[in-house]
Amino acid sequence: MLENLGEDKSIYLQISEMIEDEILRDILREEEQVPSTTELSKFYKINPATAAKGINLLVDKDILYKKRGIGMFVQAGAKEKIMEARKKSFKETYLKKLITEAKLIGITKNDLKRLIDEITD
Amino acid sequence: MSTLSGKNIVKKYGKDTVLKNVDVEIEAGKIYGLIGRNGAGKTTLLSILTAQNPATEGTVTLDGKPVWENEEALSHICYSREISQVTMFGPNTLKVKDYLGTAKAFYANWDEEYAKELIKLFNINPKKRINKLSKGMLSAVTIIVAMASKADITILDEPVAGLDVVAREQFYKLVIDEYAATGRTFVISTHIIEEAASLFEKVIIIDDGQIMIEENTEELLARAYRVSGEETNVDAAVRNFKTYHPESIGRNKVVTVLADEPVDGFDGDVQVEPVPLQNLFYAMCVDGRKEA
Repeated sequence: MLENLGEDKSIYLQISEMIEDEILRDILREEEQVPSTTELSKFYKINPATAAKGINLLVDKDILYKKRGIGMFVQAGAKEKIMEARKKSFKETYLKKLITEAKLIGITKNDLKRLIDEITD
Repeated sequence: MSTLSGKNIVKKYGKDTVLKNVDVEIEAGKIYGLIGRNGAGKTTLLSILTAQNPATEGTVTLDGKPVWENEEALSHICYSREISQVTMFGPNTLKVKDYLGTAKAFYANWDEEYAKELIKLFNINPKKRINKLSKGMLSAVTIIVAMASKADITILDEPVAGLDVVAREQFYKLVIDEYAATGRTFVISTHIIEEAASLFEKVIIIDDGQIMIEENTEELLARAYRVSGEETNVDAAVRNFKTYHPESIGRNKVVTVLADEPVDGFDGDVQVEPVPLQNLFYAMCVDGRKEA
């Protein structure tokens, strides 16, 4: 959390992705309370409606749920759900970019495989 | 909670038409940003909305009742504008504490404790005279009046002009804290768009006396794009869209697109990026006023 907000994406999306990242990294755990709309809004000096939009997006995705009068909590199974969703978009968001750049600078398929082995081994 | 609405507002100063048939609606419980170039009509509009200046034509109402000479309606509205350091009779030698005293008498919901807190926060000496204040201190005093007025609708005209970066950040935090606590309506005009854009639930862009945009900030930015690439590709990709401020270097071209609604993607080999509010505003206004 508490990273800088950028201008390359809607603020509410950045808020929701940040919370997702926290869940993936086990910094926010299942059944734990997440920062409130007001806390997020004050910290980032963003309109509370924007912070709420980011939070509500995660409620719609069943990643957060609301405990009446208390606040927002991480849903059981949220981490698994985020991982699944991110796996689906991995090809589009990461691999395609990687391959475009590789082609541009003449890295062949085999070079690429070798590089991946080098890094992951 | 009240809605402040201006209908068909025209303002003429002699032959000059400063506002041209402006319709604007300030809904309760939102933070508005009002942006426009110098001379676009921001201050005129704000002073008409708050009945400090009569409109040539059109009406301003609060919950349907005209605000002009309507004391009850005006007690819900605070318009904190730049304080003048000179009066008709020479330098404005009023002390800050006396100026705040006048404000206290004027606003029914004035919060004296809050005002004192803010005087400390902005490090203002209440015994100082208005004509001895720096530009930043003057802005701080207008902010103190606006915040401590506790008015349902609080309008700030360029509150951060002359403030240093620390005081500006303090101001943004104040607005968010106060808004989170009370849900008061704020209308804030500013030239420092980049810093304040994320504060605004809705944004009003005014240019040459006309409202160009009055929209939810996120929704506006969701339909704005910066499209760049090889010139013919860019031209083909954006041909069906409203575009602003094309620029070229060699065979490359960049243009700002404002689509009617969010677009799934642009055809062809072009780079598409989001546009921050300040850049959108710049693109929309920089090539304008061609008739002038």
